[in-house]
Amino acid sequence: MKLIVAVLKPFKLDDVKETLKNLGVQGMTLTEAQGFGRQRGHTEVYRGAEYEVDFVPKIRVEVLVDDGQVDEVVDAIVTSASTGKIGDGKVWVLPVEAVVRVRTGERGSEAL
Amino acid sequence: MIHLIGAASYVPYPSWLNPADNTWQITAATFVGLMSLPGLAVLYASLVPKKWAVNVLAMMFAGFALVMVAWFLWEYKLGFGDTSIGGGVRLVNGVVTQTQNAGTTGTLTHFFENFLGKPGPVTSAFGEQAQASSAANTIIPFHFPTSSLAYFQFVFAAITPLLFMGSVLGRIKFSAWCLLVPLWSTCVYTVDAFLLWGGGYFAQEGALDFSGGYVIHMSAGVSGFVAAWCLGPRLLRDRQHALPNNLVMAAVGAGILWLGWNGFNGGDPYYAGASAAAAVVNTNLATATGVLVWIAMDAWLSKEKKPTFLGGVNGMICGLVGITPCAGWVNGLGAIYVGAICTVVVWIAWNYLSKVRPFSKVDDALGVIYTHGIAGLLGGLLLGIFGDPNMIEYGCGHLTASGQVIATSQATYLTAKGTCVPFGVNGLMYTGSAHQLWEQARAAVWVIFWSALVTFILMKLIGLVLRGTRYKDEILEVGDLAIHGEEAFPEETLATRTGGGAFAMAGLDKGGSSAAAAAEDYPVPGTDTGGGS
Repeated sequence: MKLIVAVLKPFKLDDVKETLKNLGVQGMTLTEAQGFGRQRGHTEVYRGAEYEVDFVPKIRVEVLVDDGQVDEVVDAIVTSASTGKIGDGKVWVLPVEAVVRVRTGERGSEAL
Repeated sequence: MIHLIGAASYVPYPSWLNPADNTWQITAATFVGLMSLPGLAVLYASLVPKKWAVNVLAMMFAGFALVMVAWFLWEYKLGFGDTSIGGGVRLVNGVVTQTQNAGTTGTLTHFFENFLGKPGPVTSAFGEQAQASSAANTIIPFHFPTSSLAYFQFVFAAITPLLFMGSVLGRIKFSAWCLLVPLWSTCVYTVDAFLLWGGGYFAQEGALDFSGGYVIHMSAGVSGFVAAWCLGPRLLRDRQHALPNNLVMAAVGAGILWLGWNGFNGGDPYYAGASAAAAVVNTNLATATGVLVWIAMDAWLSKEKKPTFLGGVNGMICGLVGITPCAGWVNGLGAIYVGAICTVVVWIAWNYLSKVRPFSKVDDALGVIYTHGIAGLLGGLLLGIFGDPNMIEYGCGHLTASGQVIATSQATYLTAKGTCVPFGVNGLMYTGSAHQLWEQARAAVWVIFWSALVTFILMKLIGLVLRGTRYKDEILEVGDLAIHGEEAFPEETLATRTGGGAFAMAGLDKGGSSAAAAAEDYPVPGTDTGGGS
């Protein structure tokens, strides 16, 4: 099993969610996040004073998948979240040692 | 109405009371009160970083309450009662009269005899219910009781220190604030109020301030600036991250301020008449102009070239403050000029003067010196220019065969050969006379001088008593939590009750969230099957 983590532009969430549903992905976890990569931040103005804001709003999506589905899901996320402009985000994949469903105690692929 | 000839009957009003005037006065006062709580409290609390919001709210509510008690125990009479020393204005047989003791002449004597009222309470049955009388208005008798006048004047006295809290927040000790507010309103506010409104020296000389461009706003701006200078700046970290925490709530506070100002300026004629209505319209004209001008200047002249909402709020305050000394005495076009001029000048000061000493060296946290100090000064001076003699605050009714005729201009009255001259202001633009402008300038110099001097002395005195007026850095780094033990936006899932408080303590010792424990501690009547009553 693998954990796919994607940090994306917030307004792409609906597209990503629909694509993953269509692929049969059963669940995902979403966190509102702040971050920056190469695009850096932006300037805000309050009462005439300028503030540099390095971090921009992002969403962090976490999806648990079977090994066989990893490439398909990563490709789907990349395709559906892409705008082609700087700041689109990143996707990375981590190995997962164990997964347990809290309600039933099922383990491994059964728990996905 | 039932007339019972020869029989005593109950009446709701004394003969001098006009229910419309009284209603408007209490309503206008309530509007002005709402400008402080919640208007200004919410505006300032949302303009500061999250960690300071509770402190601002606590200082607002405490300040309002402190002035309320002080005002009715001694301050009202200082500002609006009989003069305390020598001759001066006082009630003689129920009539407000200028008196002079034998052998006392000279400008200085005259000044100090008309400097301050004699302190005293307005808490007795007679004090609260009798007809209001003050040299604040010697033209026609008040049509409402002292309670109406004193409460109306209280809400002005209360909002003034709350305005300059914007300069000192983010480092002043809560205890220092609670001493500063009553001392400041006793020593600064009541003096300026008496001098300009209560029939004191500047009022007698002819200086005018419709609703407090000088007594309230310029005084607040200058006092806040001096107090901020005495206090020293906020923490560097707080200044680097001085972001507002909630622009939506800032809009709520600002909106209450704008519409509350209908009472602020509309209540100052003291009668529910034409001048009150005109003052309301002029206030809104100047304010709308201020909003538009600031937003336009932000969009075209600022570095970012963006129309900012908080800039619009600044423009709104410039318009409101600028029109305050003029409200019922300029016409609608004059109000637009006042709003535009005040906003343009304050915008330039805000963006450029702020880089010059002493402005660059004093941490006036919310910039009260600009939007209140400079706009108040300008508004007061502009009255001397745009004051329209045909904007009549108090007219002269004269009876004709068809009833009471209210003429519409001074000229009409004068040709009607009345001995009564309607009260309007002779501005430079309409009469060619700079006399009013001169009187306005003299009073401005005084208010700036007195506000700065006494605020400085009070801050030093309070510093001696409390061993410093600002919190230690360790406390400033934390803010609300260190000072009040409260957060503006607490998260209940992260906190668990461990004690204290007067309610719902039962069951806390059982731990967890057991429904059974709750049922045991809080049986619902009628569902208790365990043999209870």
